[in-house]
Amino acid sequence: MSTQEISLEELRQRQSRFRGLEAGHRACLGCGQALAARWVLEAAGPDVVVANATGCLEVFTTPWPESAWRVPWLHSLFENTGAVAAGLEAALKVQGKTAKALAFAGDGGTFDIGFQALSGLLEREHDVLYVCYDNEGYMNTGVQRSGSTPHAAATTTSPAGRARLGKRHLKKDILAIIASHHIAYAATASIAYPEDLKRKVRQALLITGPTFLHLHAPCPLGWGHDGSLSVEVARLAVQTGLFPLIEMERGQVIGVMPLRTIRPVADYLKLQGRFGHLFRDDPRAREELEHLQALADHNIEVFNLRADRPDPADSEGADTVRRGRRRF
Amino acid sequence: MILTRGAYALPGTSLAYKTGTWRLQRPVHRHRAAPCHAACPAGEDAQAWLARLDEGDSQGAWESLVSANPLPAITGRVCHHPCERACNRGQFDQPIAIHAVERFLGDQALANDWPYPVSPPSPAAPEVAVVGAGPAGLSCAYHLLRLGYKARVFDALPEAGGTLRTALPPYRLPRGVLEAEIGRLLNLGIGFEPGVRLGRDVYLDDLRRQYPAVFLALGATRPRPWDVAGVVPAELHQGLELLKEWVSVGELPKADSVAVVGGGNTSVDIARVMRRIGVPEVHLITHRALPHPEVPEDDWMPAIPREVEQAQEEGVVFHPHTGVRRLVLRGQQLLGIELVKMKKLVQPDGSLKRVPFEGTEKVLRIEQVIPAIGEMVDPSGLESLLGCQEFLLVDAWGRVAGISGVFAGGDMRFGAGMVSIAIGDGRRAALAIAAYLQGKEPEAEPVKTIAYEQLNVNYYDHAPRAEPTLLPVAQRVGFAEVEGGLDTAQAAAEAARCFSCGSCLSCDNCWNLCPEPAVLKLPDEIPGQVRYVFDYDYCKGCGLCARECPCGFIVMEDEA
Amino acid sequence: MRQALEGSQAIAQAVALCRPGVVAAYPITPQTHIVENLAKLVADGKLKCELVSVESEHSAASVVLGAAAAGVRAYTASASQGILLMAEVLYNIAGLRVPVVLTCANRAVSAPLSIWNDHQDSMAVRDSGWIQLYCADNQQAVDTTIQAFRLAETLELPVMVCVDGFVLTHTLEPLDLPEQAQVDAFLPPYRFSRVLDPHHPLTLGTLVSPDDYTEVRYAHHRAMLRALDVIPEVDAAWQQITGRSTGGLIAVEGPEEARVGILTLGSVFGTLADARQLADAPVKLIHLRSFRPFPVAALQRACQGLTELIVLERAFSPGAGGIVGAEARAALMELEHPPRVHNFAVGLGGRDVPLEILERLLAATGSEPTRFAIFDVDLSRLPEEER
Repeated sequence: MSTQEISLEELRQRQSRFRGLEAGHRACLGCGQALAARWVLEAAGPDVVVANATGCLEVFTTPWPESAWRVPWLHSLFENTGAVAAGLEAALKVQGKTAKALAFAGDGGTFDIGFQALSGLLEREHDVLYVCYDNEGYMNTGVQRSGSTPHAAATTTSPAGRARLGKRHLKKDILAIIASHHIAYAATASIAYPEDLKRKVRQALLITGPTFLHLHAPCPLGWGHDGSLSVEVARLAVQTGLFPLIEMERGQVIGVMPLRTIRPVADYLKLQGRFGHLFRDDPRAREELEHLQALADHNIEVFNLRADRPDPADSEGADTVRRGRRRF
Repeated sequence: MILTRGAYALPGTSLAYKTGTWRLQRPVHRHRAAPCHAACPAGEDAQAWLARLDEGDSQGAWESLVSANPLPAITGRVCHHPCERACNRGQFDQPIAIHAVERFLGDQALANDWPYPVSPPSPAAPEVAVVGAGPAGLSCAYHLLRLGYKARVFDALPEAGGTLRTALPPYRLPRGVLEAEIGRLLNLGIGFEPGVRLGRDVYLDDLRRQYPAVFLALGATRPRPWDVAGVVPAELHQGLELLKEWVSVGELPKADSVAVVGGGNTSVDIARVMRRIGVPEVHLITHRALPHPEVPEDDWMPAIPREVEQAQEEGVVFHPHTGVRRLVLRGQQLLGIELVKMKKLVQPDGSLKRVPFEGTEKVLRIEQVIPAIGEMVDPSGLESLLGCQEFLLVDAWGRVAGISGVFAGGDMRFGAGMVSIAIGDGRRAALAIAAYLQGKEPEAEPVKTIAYEQLNVNYYDHAPRAEPTLLPVAQRVGFAEVEGGLDTAQAAAEAARCFSCGSCLSCDNCWNLCPEPAVLKLPDEIPGQVRYVFDYDYCKGCGLCARECPCGFIVMEDEA
Repeated sequence: MRQALEGSQAIAQAVALCRPGVVAAYPITPQTHIVENLAKLVADGKLKCELVSVESEHSAASVVLGAAAAGVRAYTASASQGILLMAEVLYNIAGLRVPVVLTCANRAVSAPLSIWNDHQDSMAVRDSGWIQLYCADNQQAVDTTIQAFRLAETLELPVMVCVDGFVLTHTLEPLDLPEQAQVDAFLPPYRFSRVLDPHHPLTLGTLVSPDDYTEVRYAHHRAMLRALDVIPEVDAAWQQITGRSTGGLIAVEGPEEARVGILTLGSVFGTLADARQLADAPVKLIHLRSFRPFPVAALQRACQGLTELIVLERAFSPGAGGIVGAEARAALMELEHPPRVHNFAVGLGGRDVPLEILERLLAATGSEPTRFAIFDVDLSRLPEEER
């Protein structure tokens, strides 16, 4: 069958994947969150109900009367996603329905304003997969710093100037906090590793009870890089050790994606405008660069990310290329 | 739009909003030649046939291969495979063992008698004369057939094959392979007239009268004369002569020590033959360097690097950057040769000149010196064309200047000297002849290659290259073939290592990584058809697909 | 069956009779007894529902929103600060047109801190788009709670049942609790037209542009106005089954020919009724059961022939005055001979409303109408500059 024999509309209907998030949404070019959300639903399938926090994902998918969602979806407020999802789950449970409740929120809605509802959700052991799309700032409101913004990153409320070089504080270690709730599964994932991401979604959905996925999803606008670089930037975040891909069960690390080739943090930082001030000729900038390198090294050490030698079983964690049966 | 209670929306209604209007750049599929393709003198698209093999279709791979080169079992053994030096994978780990896979496919075709994808010419088709049944002539005849013409091949020798038969040692190219592949080729319906020598049995003018076009591929069969300051030893035998004799008889008179002069394939071959017949001490003297990645390639001795390597394994002593300054003679008897170190240096006018270094002279005591400094065209029957040149001058299509309807290629034209070049010459000449017969200009074959930087190698895994097994040195006697072939699994693994530079790998990356999604996948895999479609109604032109395409098959173009 | 029950316990029983699927709440005085009673019913296996003990009122409202949207009857209760913490969610629930029922055990809002009753909490969220029904006694609390579910689900609007904290919630009264069969006959199984269902995946809570926002708000307003018809219908249907009416929008007691009326909300109505009986005063008592929607026509009818209307309320808007008073005055302006309106705030922060208040109120009607006053302020206890 070729494009002469089938219209694009029809072809779109016949894609061999679950289309939970449809085209026509208004995300920026190269939006990491749009990618991540689509993959989460691809992995989760149609038997879900989604509670979505206020934020880019909500705004760019649902300008009335349009919706990009093909799953039942509810946006209530910014800070209550954990609680709304808990309500969905309680209702599904009472009705004996098999559908799984998902909670989608950004880093602001997770690390900061929605943290209490999330903590309650985990503590009460609702059967909900909570997905945090982490783009490290309040991007929807115009790139303000959040508890997830990395140290030294410039945002509109932590700008780089003569006296200060971006955010003074550290990125909140949300996974450690989540892990302290003793939940059955919590993991990080990145849009640079879609198969790993989808596997973790499926893994989480196998579990009855609260699970948490922390997805690193670059924001070209807020991070100051070209949209075409979103996956590259995400990949470098992993390969530098700044965003380790790990899995935790009951608070214990049970798996990490080993890094065969560890890249210096500068490779990651220099692609992004928000770290541009770290590359100026200034001893404090150099100090901050060293600081970020030390944070990456710390992750590598703490999570034992270093892969000693090529191992055929680990494909560098990479989503290595799938080779089509029939090719052009 | 009628308002809904609480302003709910229906699923997937975002499709009404065409985000494609935002686009400033659009992704397009653009096939670009893999470097191996551009580098192949025979014109093979190795990437394409490796893809077929990777799909599990080895016969299809062979058919793709022989659309350019009808002699893969031969070239898979003897080609210098510049494709592998060009291979982008070489910058990642090791290049694809293209020659080894080529040989595998050629051997499979012989073993399974896969038919060439060529139909017999119609009786009414015009017939073209081809002089010389070596690789250039056979390739030209084959491609003429593919283009719907008949070909009649004349050769002075009783059997087809040219240099492949006369001067390629069977430990590199076993006779059986040669016979089988050439036999199958001739059986396609190529007319073959053996024992017909140009200038003796037939003349160019006659051929021009009888045939609408003539392709000349007589090779370079005459050894270049050699002397040292005008002096030659008595009983001097040229390397090419000795090689031909050994290939046909299997024996040669034997000295205790031999120096071969020259850095080409003939010199390496005869040096190895000398070891095979039992000469204990074999030296090879060359002005050039040994092939080594750190040495500029234009200084490498022209012989095939792997042959040099194998010759070293077999005990041939190489003297690179060395020239013969003097013959050490006692009367007519050769006692040795005086060697001097030399190097190619840039002259004030920019030209290169070999400069001997005074004070580095030394005498090498040997019983026999064998020159093998190259071959030239035998001018018999070609006097009018050659004039005072050693080689024919032709254009890229093999057209001989000033004589319409006459084409030439292979070793007889300047700059050739390799089997795969000859095969490529034959192919291009066939295209030029077809165009000529139709009163057209041949169509240029622009080959724009894709560079390593245009790939996204994050998606490839490191994997070791399949290395063919080599016969242990102790067993390298007589005609025994030195290099082994790949098995099916090795060949498949090698095909799976291919980066597929510039061609879609059907990897789904674009389909998977589009944030819209605006990349759609066709339901069926159809050979030759890209499986992905850009839905420009929704594509915003972010360029992620192009950036993350492992093969560099997607490029971004500015919107008009 | 007539029995003596604490208000909270009765409300809990009434909720249980409505077979909620999800109950979510966070403890706050004086709402606690309602939720405790529900928890006990669940613990005893008498009520099959998910009881979600959340970590805040914000989450309580959010849980019932999610649950009701996902297809089950959902209930919560709160008071005072809890209502204010929920405020954002209350607006959201109403705008989404999700039918949940909330009991507000009315309590003063801090500061100063007070756990005692007034109506400042529910009045603070009067514009959130919820139906607000006030209960004069615990029988009404029971009946209104049950009616609230049917009302909410008929209109797809949330309903807040306002019950005076302590005065009703913690008071033992004899009352009729309906039979399960009666409630089942009255209240059909829960149905939400836009239920979140994977088979019909709707998107709820969209972003609405300035082009459409006004219409969405208008539709909400219209639904609230439609409740003016539905509230009496539901009450009538309840009366058919139980024989009891709560008055619908407005309940009136007293002689038809009375020239003086007193409009009030909640349990003060009972105090005034007792006082009226004792004094045998020619006063018409009007209970504003439905504050939202505000029953303009019903109020006009009830006030026909009155020359004086006293509006008593347990909340006010500092710097402006009475809330109900201002609205009543505005509604009655349309009458050909509107009564003079005297507006007083009483019973703030749990201050007792004694029986003798009636006499003093009636006395007040003799002079110029009081636009607004806080009743019984002891100025001598204030510093000079704040008197």
